[in-house]
Amino acid sequence: MSSRWWLPRRAAQLSTLALIASPLLGLGVFRGNLAAGELLGMPLADPLAFLQALIGGRVLVLSYLGSALLVAAFYFVLGGRSFCGWVCPVGLITEMGDKLRRRLDSGGSTLPLASSRFSLALVLATVALTGIPLFEVLSPIGIVSRAVVFKSLLPLLLPAAILLVEVSVSRRVWCRSLCPLGGFYSLLARFSPLRVAFLKERCTHCGDCLRACPVQEVLAPPLEHAAPQVAAGDCSRCLACVDSCPTKALKISFTYKSSCTG
Amino acid sequence: MGDESKNSGISRRQFLRRSAVTPLALALAGGALSSVYLRPADAGGFTLRPPGAVAGKRFLSACVRCGKCAQACPYGSIKLAGGEAGTGIGTPVITPRETPCYLCQDLPCVKACPSGALDNNLEDIENVRMGTAVIIDRESCLSIRGLRCEVCYRQCPLIDKAITLEVRHNTRTDEHTIMEPVVHKEKCVGCGICENSCVLPKPVIVVQRLVETQKDGYEF
Repeated sequence: MSSRWWLPRRAAQLSTLALIASPLLGLGVFRGNLAAGELLGMPLADPLAFLQALIGGRVLVLSYLGSALLVAAFYFVLGGRSFCGWVCPVGLITEMGDKLRRRLDSGGSTLPLASSRFSLALVLATVALTGIPLFEVLSPIGIVSRAVVFKSLLPLLLPAAILLVEVSVSRRVWCRSLCPLGGFYSLLARFSPLRVAFLKERCTHCGDCLRACPVQEVLAPPLEHAAPQVAAGDCSRCLACVDSCPTKALKISFTYKSSCTG
Repeated sequence: MGDESKNSGISRRQFLRRSAVTPLALALAGGALSSVYLRPADAGGFTLRPPGAVAGKRFLSACVRCGKCAQACPYGSIKLAGGEAGTGIGTPVITPRETPCYLCQDLPCVKACPSGALDNNLEDIENVRMGTAVIIDRESCLSIRGLRCEVCYRQCPLIDKAITLEVRHNTRTDEHTIMEPVVHKEKCVGCGICENSCVLPKPVIVVQRLVETQKDGYEF
């Protein structure tokens, strides 16, 4: 255990929840939720929520476009699916579920990672054809946020069902393979400069990183082919592999190497 | 059986757990999904939205369900819909019988809306058209029955504009006056204060969807 990335990561996840809940204490730091919010007066917007509102609602507000672009740029620089690993409250919940699943030794099967891109396509097609913003209706992120702020508890059935499926049937299936927002950020992450780098000369092939990683199929190929970086968009930059490596063969890097496969 | 479970690499216990929990989990997930999709938004009729809401179905797409309008409302009039609203889950609703819209001069809910679902070009509160008040039960309205009520008229922020009193002789008693509240939809903003103030257990004046006055070509 050389590095301790889990600590700031957990702190970031909990801060997100604290910010969403902060208006309950009468604090003016944050308003809204992850679909659209205002942090210290600065408007922030989920780019996928923006796209759905634009396609389905046919309204374009320039400040809204600006805040969605700002957030998209932020996650592009910081690794795309880093949203999933560092910010999303549903990610935090399903991570806890995964700890339980490991203890129960259940639900090892998963779906392919690419399915999340199909979810994304489905969401965009649905809003274009029917005007229903599928992800804003179903988003467990929105449901969890509104349960915190507005005590709208009944819709929590959906995240509860996701948790139950993940614990008993299929490992992290929502976050890995079904979440359209994850699919969206995985597309952004393909060209993101923030990546996990692999120093093959230090690797002892102990396999600790693969056991820690929530998306082994992303981490395994670079290790096998001695690629310098983990490039795939589905890496959530959770850095559990970096934490787990006893020989510091994995580290965080901030350079885009086009030789990577991904 | 024992051989089979060895071959497939799972124990009897794992098999039982999976065969029991998998259908339960999938049924729960399916139930949660269908409970939303089997109910279209507005299934219960007209839904009163905050001021400046873009019309009809478009609102459901333009609204990203962030709840900032509800957080900005100083009266707590705006609530977010739950699962009962179907595809309208998470969208803002006003229930006048609980708390009507008091139409703040500076429209904080409209200013809070990031996505344009509440039209931020709206500035003058008299131009708001959330809906329009309608007297749905004339037989029960105390004023129309000849009693002195007129509470909706007195409470209306646009008194003598959106609601006026039409005075006529009470032919039933032949010695009193009937003062009937009449709504003028070209002035009514649809705030729901009248609906909130109606003294009857079931309000006889309620906010409904605004239907613009039609040009029918009949002149008289």
